[in-house]
Amino acid sequence: MQYIYKMVLVLGMVLFCAQSVAANEQVELKEHFLKKIDEVILIVEDKKMTKDERNGTIVKSLTPMFDFELMAKLSLGSKWRELSDAEGKKFVALYVERMKQSYSSKIDAYKDEKVEIKKIEQTKEDRITLVSDLVSQTQKLEIAYKFHKPKVPVASKDKWLIYDVEILGVSILKTDMAQFKEFLQTKSMAELMDALAKQS
Amino acid sequence: MRTIYLSIVSCMLVFGLSACSSKSVAKPEEAVQTQKSDGAEDELASFADEMEVQEIYDPLKGYNRAMTRFNDGAYEYVFKPVATGYKNVLHFEVRNSIENFFENLYFPVRFANTLLQGKFSYAAEEAGRFVCNTTVGVLGFFDPAKSYFELEAHEEDFGQTLGFYGVGGGPHIVLPLLGPSNLRDTLSLYPDSFLSLLDYEERSYWTLTDTPAEYIGVKVLEKTNTISLHMDKYDKMKEDAVDLYPFLRDMYEQRRKKQIEE
Repeated sequence: MQYIYKMVLVLGMVLFCAQSVAANEQVELKEHFLKKIDEVILIVEDKKMTKDERNGTIVKSLTPMFDFELMAKLSLGSKWRELSDAEGKKFVALYVERMKQSYSSKIDAYKDEKVEIKKIEQTKEDRITLVSDLVSQTQKLEIAYKFHKPKVPVASKDKWLIYDVEILGVSILKTDMAQFKEFLQTKSMAELMDALAKQS
Repeated sequence: MRTIYLSIVSCMLVFGLSACSSKSVAKPEEAVQTQKSDGAEDELASFADEMEVQEIYDPLKGYNRAMTRFNDGAYEYVFKPVATGYKNVLHFEVRNSIENFFENLYFPVRFANTLLQGKFSYAAEEAGRFVCNTTVGVLGFFDPAKSYFELEAHEEDFGQTLGFYGVGGGPHIVLPLLGPSNLRDTLSLYPDSFLSLLDYEERSYWTLTDTPAEYIGVKVLEKTNTISLHMDKYDKMKEDAVDLYPFLRDMYEQRRKKQIEE
């Protein structure tokens, strides 16, 4: 009897641990994310810095959390494979710059909003989605951050990296994919790069 | 409402047909599969199923592009300057109250559509909001239902109801001044208008307007007020567009998909 009891206990422990590893990962990511947000809010509220300094600092502090390079590659879909190495590098650089620019221009619109985590979903072992609400005085904006965990950790980056952001169900990455695809149906890659360069 | 609705639809048909005849629909090209010796190739492949872009049915592309350009021009040169002036005159609180007032008037539309989708708890919440905001909230100008009772509004319309029962969006259509839509959602404006308290047609119950002119006036006020509240966000968002038409089209269709799923 005691043997069975022990077996059940051990089995229970193993199952519990396995589950809590996955849960821990989610909690860890959530804590890390919220800490980053707090950091950003502190910078936003720092009145000593100029706007450009401030936005620069914020982008710098957030960059390790985003996988802009992956986003750049995914945004081109199958066209990515057709690029030469030099073109690929140029495109990634332009895309990353545009993303940073776009992000810092959004920071300017920030006014006393709070970030609340609503849900954490782990669809696969290496994918986690953090669903958050950006709560302002008058409305709530649902923003989902999609993280992936690269098999080989990227130097100078976090363990989990954001590869897409969905605002009210609209994916930034998918919208870019659709735009670029349509653009490339009538125009060339060089023209697309010019257009991206103009935005940043 | 009926006359406006019919004129919009006929306008679209004329535009659409003329656009159709001049432009052929572009077929998605075959992807050229040249292997690139890249270690990250596997990683990209693991995103393939997630990132599959749904091809939006868009036979009216020529018309839609032209109408997007027209709408954008109208926004930049007419609506935005007017809304900016309006914003400078009226305090945020006032404009927010006006938005609440209009939102409250659309209660029957939301209520009926939550019921049609069998979302009874949402329907109850909507009914509670309407009663509370119309009385305590002084005809809907204030939103005590949300601030005191945490009753949230649920944006539901007939387009979503149809989507809920599996009706697809059909071809994407950009409506004059109203912006991106699709066939399903455009046709749904008509049934929804029957429940709108803004309408001018003879009803057995109270409506805000009595003549088409009044109706258009009220609609212009509503639109100006909305733009004045959301102008900054829209402008920031537009900066990310490389090509405005597919950008707005995809955002609309993704948003609707999400709303229908909810």
